[in-house]
Amino acid sequence: MKARMQNSSSSALLKQEFLKKWINGLQTYTNTKKEMTILDRKNAIKLSADIAIASTRNFSTNWSRAVMADVSKNVDGSSKIVTEKILGRKETCIIKCSKNIMRKSRLLAHRKRAIRRTIGRTSVKAASAIAKELVKKRTRVLKRLVPGGKQMNEICLIKETLDYIASLQVQVDVMRNIANAADQCLDSTERSLL
Amino acid sequence: MPKGTFITLIGIRVSKNHRERKKSFESTKNVTMSSRRSRSRQSPGASRISDDQIADLVSRLQQLIPEMRNRRSDKVSASKVLQETCNYIRSLHREVDDLSDRLSELLESTDSDSAQAAIIRSLLM
Repeated sequence: MKARMQNSSSSALLKQEFLKKWINGLQTYTNTKKEMTILDRKNAIKLSADIAIASTRNFSTNWSRAVMADVSKNVDGSSKIVTEKILGRKETCIIKCSKNIMRKSRLLAHRKRAIRRTIGRTSVKAASAIAKELVKKRTRVLKRLVPGGKQMNEICLIKETLDYIASLQVQVDVMRNIANAADQCLDSTERSLL
Repeated sequence: MPKGTFITLIGIRVSKNHRERKKSFESTKNVTMSSRRSRSRQSPGASRISDDQIADLVSRLQQLIPEMRNRRSDKVSASKVLQETCNYIRSLHREVDDLSDRLSELLESTDSDSAQAAIIRSLLM
C-alpha cells in the first residue's frame, strides 16, 4: 500500500515536470515561428513532448539520450534553433559526442554480425529452440521500437523498456488530460454562446 | 525571461564543471563498451545468472502492461510478454500521435474572441 502511494506521488511529480517542460518548449516554438500550419503545429507539439519526456530522465537512461540524439539529427532549419535553445549548447555537444561513439559501435556490431552469419546454420529444431527463436524474434522487434535499442544487450534492453514504458504512460496521461480539458473548455464556451 | 532562469526552468543541469561533462561522456562510452563485452562473453556461469535476471525483468514488464497485470506470472511465456510489450509500445506511440493531432486541431479552431480560448492559447502556446 505504501509502495503504491509512493509510486503515485512520484508519478505526479514526474507529470508536473513533464508538463512544465512541454509547455516551455511549445512557448519557445511559438516565439520563434510566428505563423504555423496545422501540420507544423502538430509536429511542434509532438517534438516538444518528446524532448520534454526524455529530459525528465536527465540523460541517465539510454533511450532518453537516443531520443535527444535523433531529435538533434533530424530537425532542420528553424526547428534546430528551437531544440538547441531548449537543450542548451553544452548538452547538444554531449549528444554529438555520444552519437559518434554510438555510430562506431554500430559499425563494429555490424561487422561482428556479418561474421557470425557466415559461420554455419544448423537446421535441427527442438521445441526449446523454437521457443528461443520466438523470443529472439520478439526481442528484435522490441529493439526497433525502443529508441537506441539496437546497441543494447537483452538485459539492458528490458531495463530500458521498463523505464521507457513508464515515461510514455506519463506523457500520454498528461497529453490526454490537457486535450480533454481543452475540449471541455470549448464545449462550455460553445454552450454559453448559444 | 533571462536565459539562465529559462534553462533552469527546463531543469536541465547545464554542466558548469568540465569534469561533469567528461563523466557523462565517459558513461556513454562505458555503456557501449560493456554491451560489446557482454555480447562476446559466452561462459555458462554468466548465462545462469542472467537467466534469473531476465525472468525477474520479464515479470516486472508484465506488471506494467495493463492487459497482462492480472494473469499469473508462471503461466505466461516470455515471448508472449515481449509480444504484448511491443504491441503496447506501438499503441502508446499511436496515442501520442493522435493526441498531438487533436491538440493542434483544437488550437486551430479556438475562437480568438472567447476568454477561455485565450486562456488555453496562452497556456499552450
